Amino acid sequence: MSALATTGEAVLDVVRDVKDILTMARRTVRVVLRGRVERKAVVEQMHEIGNRSVFFITVTMGFIGMILVFQSALQALRIVPDLTILGSTYGEILIRDIGASIGGMMLATRVGAGIAAEIGSMVVTEQVDALRMCSADPVEYLVAPRFVASVIMTFCLLIWACFVAYITGMLTAHMVFDVNYQTFANFMLVDRGDVIIGLTKCLAYGAAIPIVSAQRGLATFGGSEGVGAATTSAVVSSSLAVIVLQFIISAIGYLIFPG
Amino acid sequence: MTARRDPWLLRGPGALGGVSLALGEQVGGLVVLFARIIARLLPPRIDRYELVRNLHRMGVKSLPIVVVTALFVGAIMVIQAAPLVTRFNAREIVGWGAGFATLREVGPLLIALMFSGRVGANNTAELGTMTVTSQIDALRALAIDPIAYLVLPRVISMIVMLFVLTVIGDIVAIGGAIVAAKALLDVDPRSFLNSLFVLLNEWDLLTGLIKSLLFGAMIALTSCHFGLSVKGGAPGVGKAVNAAVVAAASGIFILDYFSSFILG
Repeated sequence: MSALATTGEAVLDVVRDVKDILTMARRTVRVVLRGRVERKAVVEQMHEIGNRSVFFITVTMGFIGMILVFQSALQALRIVPDLTILGSTYGEILIRDIGASIGGMMLATRVGAGIAAEIGSMVVTEQVDALRMCSADPVEYLVAPRFVASVIMTFCLLIWACFVAYITGMLTAHMVFDVNYQTFANFMLVDRGDVIIGLTKCLAYGAAIPIVSAQRGLATFGGSEGVGAATTSAVVSSSLAVIVLQFIISAIGYLIFPG
Repeated sequence: MTARRDPWLLRGPGALGGVSLALGEQVGGLVVLFARIIARLLPPRIDRYELVRNLHRMGVKSLPIVVVTALFVGAIMVIQAAPLVTRFNAREIVGWGAGFATLREVGPLLIALMFSGRVGANNTAELGTMTVTSQIDALRALAIDPIAYLVLPRVISMIVMLFVLTVIGDIVAIGGAIVAAKALLDVDPRSFLNSLFVLLNEWDLLTGLIKSLLFGAMIALTSCHFGLSVKGGAPGVGKAVNAAVVAAASGIFILDYFSSFILG
């Protein structure tokens, strides 16, 4: 009985969290559609989320590009002796999935932790209650600007991430496996479907990360330890959100554009 | 007192120097902490109760999240390999294609990132809160070594548990890949496993597991270092958690790169 109770409790927790996140998403989108978002706050958040992540994203995606090409070249060499299709295959898989998804995980870590820590410490110091007292909606003042900023900046950052990973991959292929640049830079396999799937992922991650982590931040309770717990749970939940969205979009994308 | 503004010509080099100094401070702190931990290991002085508590808290409680992550990772790798294998009409080797990438690279990497988000961040927050409430100083005043009592059990638990979780995650990921391959490409589970066992060698599996040990050490070091060096009260803890997660992720990628090249 106790195993059943434990499982049931876990399932109920997940259902409750998903419901809370969807409610938050609905309210945020409603505020944004009404156009009630302060422009100055959006610009500030765009700087915080976007400009300050550029270095981090460039470093991690640079390494990822090198690792991926190295690993896939090793894998390919076991079956076929030449690496002429390495570049075109890498380009396709990077645009279709890996670029956006690994970059999205990275942003979920950095941006998600930042948003949850900031909103969470506002909650425990009762600044959010103060906003409510002034009949200001926290979703409108805190969540909506971060949402708009994140959708725009994540989109740009993930395209930059793909670019960086492609360049470092090309350099690795040239230096380690002696593939020349003209052979590598081949976009023959990239079609409309790949680009659409990739860009959809960029948009979806940009929208999911701020909503999930803002919900975690607003649900903070219990002093400074609570802020730590909220931050942890924001990183985990937004990374999971990225993985689940990656799965859903990839599966639907494969069914619509199999090729 | 207001800070003197540099002339515009010097602002660029000034900022660069500031960033380099800050980076050097953190890297130096990590190395010093690492040396101290090694010094405590000869001879080993570990609080056994703390060790068991941390093993449970970090490992057993991370199991659900690792299982979910691994399940999706396996399925996603098959979806990504699907267009390639259908193009070359080689559905039988999808097991190897997805399995190679998952076991060698993507599995250990993503599980380590989730572990860093859950356990590393939590650990930084806990040690940080203890630091700002002077509990670490209190331990020192009682002649209890904070490294032996607090840091060492956590470091050992993280390394051991990430390794164990990666082993479990690898198995689950292969399960997820089998289900996805059956549903999407109609590949028989038996031929999936067959291609995996024939084409994959032990070294591929071992590479992934060695990586998970390195990642565990990296997460443990960064999270303890940033937790112990928190300054500036409760907001400082939030900042430290953020910095620790970012540092762990960057460290994991850099280690991954070098270990991929060295382990071949």
